[in-house]
Amino acid sequence: MKIKSPKDFWSGLMFTASGLFFAIYAVAHYQMGTAVRMGPAYFPTMLGGLLAVLGVVILAQSLAFVGDEGKLHLPFNIIDIAIAVAIYVAAGYMAKFAGISPDWVILGATAVICVLTVIYRPAARGLILISAGCVAYGYLMKPGGLVGATAALVYIGALGGHEFKWKEVTILYVILMLFSWLVFVKGLSLPFPIWPAYFG
Amino acid sequence: MEIFANLWMGFGVAISLQNIFYCFVGVLLGTLIGVLPGIGPVATIAMLLPITFNLNPLSALIMLAGIYYGAQYGGSTTAILVNIPGESSSVVTCLDGYQMARQGRAGPALAVAALGSFFAGCVATLIIAVAAPPLAEVALKFGPSEYFSLMVFGLIAATVLAHGSLIKAIAMVVMGLLLGIIGTDVNSGVLRFTFDIPELSDGIGFVIVAMGMFGTAEIIANLEQGEAREIFTKKVTNLWPSKQDFKDCWASVLRGTALGSMLGILPGGGALLASFGAYTVEKKVSSHPERFGKGAIQGVAGPESANNAGAQTSFIPMLTLGIPGNAVMALMIGALMIQGIAPGPQVMNEKPQLFWGLIASMWIGNLMLVVLNLPLIGMWVKLLTVPYRYLFPSILVFMAIGVYSLSNNPFDVLIMAVFGVLGYICAKLECEPAPMILGFILGPLMEENLRRAMLLSRGDPTVFFTKPISAAFMIASLILLVIVALPAIRKKRDEAFAAEDA
Repeated sequence: MKIKSPKDFWSGLMFTASGLFFAIYAVAHYQMGTAVRMGPAYFPTMLGGLLAVLGVVILAQSLAFVGDEGKLHLPFNIIDIAIAVAIYVAAGYMAKFAGISPDWVILGATAVICVLTVIYRPAARGLILISAGCVAYGYLMKPGGLVGATAALVYIGALGGHEFKWKEVTILYVILMLFSWLVFVKGLSLPFPIWPAYFG
Repeated sequence: MEIFANLWMGFGVAISLQNIFYCFVGVLLGTLIGVLPGIGPVATIAMLLPITFNLNPLSALIMLAGIYYGAQYGGSTTAILVNIPGESSSVVTCLDGYQMARQGRAGPALAVAALGSFFAGCVATLIIAVAAPPLAEVALKFGPSEYFSLMVFGLIAATVLAHGSLIKAIAMVVMGLLLGIIGTDVNSGVLRFTFDIPELSDGIGFVIVAMGMFGTAEIIANLEQGEAREIFTKKVTNLWPSKQDFKDCWASVLRGTALGSMLGILPGGGALLASFGAYTVEKKVSSHPERFGKGAIQGVAGPESANNAGAQTSFIPMLTLGIPGNAVMALMIGALMIQGIAPGPQVMNEKPQLFWGLIASMWIGNLMLVVLNLPLIGMWVKLLTVPYRYLFPSILVFMAIGVYSLSNNPFDVLIMAVFGVLGYICAKLECEPAPMILGFILGPLMEENLRRAMLLSRGDPTVFFTKPISAAFMIASLILLVIVALPAIRKKRDEAFAAEDA
């Protein structure tokens, strides 16, 4: 069998897998109930089943017809996704057994994925660095304060763009930093720490 | 006349200094993000939602609404001058607007777009005032089975109007419904699909999903496309259209307004669909269809009026039924819920000042927009020269702050990043994110109403087809599905959307 429409094939696979996951997980963990008194599993099982059926139809279509939507260009493959998930799961276990704070473990795992991406999948740089910048912002807010978190997001995010000039990015960083401080901390009095925890 | 008394009261509330200020902030921001390609009203409103927590409900709604219809004004500027839709709903304006600009008629094109939008905005405001109260009256009689069927109809309509494959759009809706279920089950208190992560027990925040799917995913996609923008730098002169221009386009403005108002009310409708519909109609009725695509002023006037009318009338289902017709309205419902107001037909009776104040503010906002977009056009043109490499880190910072401030929890930002990656993959696989977002917000509501309906009917599923209103929605949904599945209409629909990709 040959895949005639890769976009349909992978989306069909994604829908089938998620549908089955939701349905099976619901049946295994929650009570079904009856149609009159629906238990917590009833609605998700129905929807999961429906999603799986839709997914199978899309899969079947992808094998039968050529989609008119052109080629699929993804800068990574399914093995890359598996590796990324494995890194996070491994990091999660490390946090559990080595007693490291989960925040640092997530940051570390994200950093590892960034490095791997830049070396082996340069085409996915935008995707990974932009996402990683956001993650870094969130997890650095408490230890690094607004100053540290904004720096991480602006520099990592800018690295995901096409051009990266230290001077430009630094000016942008200072402006955004001042703006965030004025509008969000002073103006809207959001309770953000400004400076890194070790200095303040 | 009750309507006039109500509208008068609405103006009384909307004209307070504070509300005028937030209305201005809203339309200013709306124009700004409308002009800038790469950031849309969904991401902007999502970003600002957490901040509205500190405002009173009316000011919050006035500001957020201003962003949505303001973006329709701003989007046309970019379409006409740069040939890039600043907003997805101004895609068709590029066709004739840019050609007019190349012929040195950028001024009249901009003026017609703004004045047409203003006219459409005024009419749509009146339509909301007239149509919403009776609709809410009917909706008050809805029971759980009617609500369930209405939501089925809304979701089906949304998938039919989404472009691309119908079956994928339905699958995305179901995916959204499932993701919406994550969290505590209200009936049994059971934690569903939380995987022992305490942060998930309240469910995934809607704002976080919207910002990931529409915000970060959009930035990533823009970065991949590269920076290829040629700006029409010539000075905009001769703003005022000639007498002939007015003669040519007044009928288009009327038709665009009428069509846009109707399409806006439909679930799944709104600005985007309205502008496409209007362009097709203009081309059909014109005695010189060959002029379209070469700078026909009707091709600017019709769609621009329609998208503004559609943007405004799409508030009707949200205000009267509490059901969002598109992703922006879903965010509006989110804004109401943040304020502790349960959306639905009762809002109009319980909070008349909120309802009528919002409507009155739309008229005020439209007036401000004409001023913002015509005399101050030069400022927006300048803005277009800001390169994307400055813009996207700024947008990222605002999104990250917005999400983090929801509950000062880094986990929320992580989830946003995850949905950004998911949104990116979905875009690559040609799966539309908008239906998923609608499903996501309706998921818990649908389950709740299904449970109640089945409880009342003692487990008899035919109740959805024996109650007249409910049956009407179900039959309408079926008809919609059949129509779209028919090959002839399917082809037409593909053509309509093909124009967008061109």
